[in-house]
Amino acid sequence: MAQMITIDPITRIEGHLRIDVEVDRGKVQKSWSSGQMWRGIEKILEGRDPRDAWIFTQRICGVCTTVHAIASVRAVENALDIEIPLNAQLIRNLLVSAHCLHDHIVHFYHLSALDWVDVVSALKGDPKGASKLAESLSPWPGNSVKELQAVKDKLAGFVSRGQLGIFTNGYWGHPAMKLHPDVNLLAVSHYLQALEYQKKANQVVAILGGKTPNIQNLAVGGVANAINLDNEATLNMTKLYAVKGLLEEVQRFVEQVYLPDVAAIGAMYAPWLSYGAGVTNYLSVPDLPTDTKGTTFDLPGGTIFNGDLATTREFESFDDPYFRDNITENITRAWYEDTEETRHPYQGQTNPAYSELDHDGKYSWVKAPRFDDQVMQVGPLAQVLVGFAGGHKLTQKWATWMLKTAGSIAGAKLGPGVLHSTLGRHAARAIRAAVIADTAVSHWQRLVENIGGGDTTSFTPWEYPKGEVQGFGFHEAPRGTLSHWVVIEDGKIKNYQCVVPSTWNAGPRDDKDRMGPYEASLIGNPVADPERPLEVLRTIHSFDPCLACAIHTLDPDGNEVSKVRTL
Amino acid sequence: MTDYAPIRVLGVGNVLTSDDGLGPTVIKHLEAKYTFPEAVEIIEVGTPGLDFTPYLADAALVIVLDAVRAKDAPGSVRIWRDEELLKAPPVARTSPHEPGLREALMATELTDSSPGNIVLIGVVPETLEAGTGLSSTVNAAVSEVEALVLNELENLGEAAIPRSEPQEPDLWWL
Repeated sequence: MAQMITIDPITRIEGHLRIDVEVDRGKVQKSWSSGQMWRGIEKILEGRDPRDAWIFTQRICGVCTTVHAIASVRAVENALDIEIPLNAQLIRNLLVSAHCLHDHIVHFYHLSALDWVDVVSALKGDPKGASKLAESLSPWPGNSVKELQAVKDKLAGFVSRGQLGIFTNGYWGHPAMKLHPDVNLLAVSHYLQALEYQKKANQVVAILGGKTPNIQNLAVGGVANAINLDNEATLNMTKLYAVKGLLEEVQRFVEQVYLPDVAAIGAMYAPWLSYGAGVTNYLSVPDLPTDTKGTTFDLPGGTIFNGDLATTREFESFDDPYFRDNITENITRAWYEDTEETRHPYQGQTNPAYSELDHDGKYSWVKAPRFDDQVMQVGPLAQVLVGFAGGHKLTQKWATWMLKTAGSIAGAKLGPGVLHSTLGRHAARAIRAAVIADTAVSHWQRLVENIGGGDTTSFTPWEYPKGEVQGFGFHEAPRGTLSHWVVIEDGKIKNYQCVVPSTWNAGPRDDKDRMGPYEASLIGNPVADPERPLEVLRTIHSFDPCLACAIHTLDPDGNEVSKVRTL
Repeated sequence: MTDYAPIRVLGVGNVLTSDDGLGPTVIKHLEAKYTFPEAVEIIEVGTPGLDFTPYLADAALVIVLDAVRAKDAPGSVRIWRDEELLKAPPVARTSPHEPGLREALMATELTDSSPGNIVLIGVVPETLEAGTGLSSTVNAAVSEVEALVLNELENLGEAAIPRSEPQEPDLWWL
């Protein structure tokens, strides 16, 4: 008989994600993804000065601050037709690259690795065996027997005091946990090292952005960093070298730890290279622009339909009408009211109208975005597939490395087809991290050469036009395609809409009853134990969900914990 | 870099969701009215998730100001110290926001960089609707929270110094 499972994590975040799945004969048959909070922040922007929009939008989400700031200045610059200096473009690129590296590392190690790695089993791991395995995969110096023994001792210390600390709430001993204790031990040691390296990536954001979270150096027209290589108060050589050093350290961690870890987990959980594909229409946008107008990019983006790489079409500029004219949002199954159920973001409305959660009617605060009326999956996988199909060199290099390495551990030949899966999304994220780390180092070089050549400009002055103008800005954020849409009238914001990555992926069904990417990806997922639906979390986590984008309140008494309800 | 362990006062919360802006509001009031000894850092941190960790790491004392969910009436001020904050188990990982203060504290334990002491001064919110500005109920608690922070600093011999000419707090989001 079919059984309904609800995963409804009520946490310190209000805007959480609720997943309902119907399970029969050990597999998910139906699923619903529901965003549980209305994000009304766009309304706050109406009537304000567009110059300040980025300061507000970066507070939409406490984690994805930088990305909303970048998308916002790009949208206003697009509306006002402003070209920004090359230095500004490159400084922004370094910022978003560092933010992305931080985010991808945190996501893999601290938010999702423990879906695959059993911390309790790591206590039975043998440091010698773990070290030997690691050295066969990577030259990383942090894999010594001594290092692994220290991690094991630390973990044992926690357990002997009767507490697992941050590891308390895992599904330890779950039948779907398959790794050898040595591998678990190795992964736990990398979990700890990743805490250090994510911090280094964030230091780059702090040096260039003035502060993190909530950077302070952006401006519509460029960046507010004054550039003078010899002045202590400005962006100078000392700061630039600090940025370079940190980026190179993170680059090494990505190549020698993150990539091999994902390859190993992919190989050791090979069935998960066939679960979780869901929607195989993909959307990503180009990023890391290399000119002042945003017409050439070091990171490709575009569309792919039906998983067929031959359909790939890339976006060509920050002003590409192929992007601008094809985006809509539908509210048929979301808690909003409007005279039109489907609208382009420039005409977007946000009128909340909550009713009960009804799987056959309205059940989410998330709208359903569509591209050319198609459901699209966004995220690193979408970006990597476009790069792979289009012959982007760094993407091909690291994707090929990933498939070859995972294949040799698994003893099988793996082609790019396996990327359409739960673990494929993790693999793509690691591939993308390597591409971005390499690109960031090369953009650092370009920036220094450009400044060295005598160009110290970082801001283009501009003025508001009279009357109404509109513009859009996109950014390929860690979680995928983000776009901001702004309508400006006489220098004031008339309408502002954000179409965020998790809206694309977590969105509900639409007017044609087509499932969103989370929902579609869960169909056919195995569930061994309905009381502990680890496998459902594996697939949802692989998208790197970030639904909150708004409120948090601390709950020091710990009254609320994640709730798994089996109905 | 400093060669002493800093004392950090962290204003946590989102200024775009009404009473969740309590922490940042108190920070702006403190900055406008006082200067602080070198060891004291006054920071508005937003809603950082795991990014909380570096603000906690290696500090002598961390004072966290935030809206808190508790059973008390809106506007009530409550204080939690050290172990009280670590008692409850961590929440499940469902989004990057889920690692909160408690999880970030546990992460500092793992890297042997736990702060010496931690105090959470919390105010129970009345509304967390999208919008700027505190409710009058929570706004009335701002001066009490401010006084509690000043008291903590004074007890450590790092008292705040009143500005000879206090400024208007920079509540730019209003």
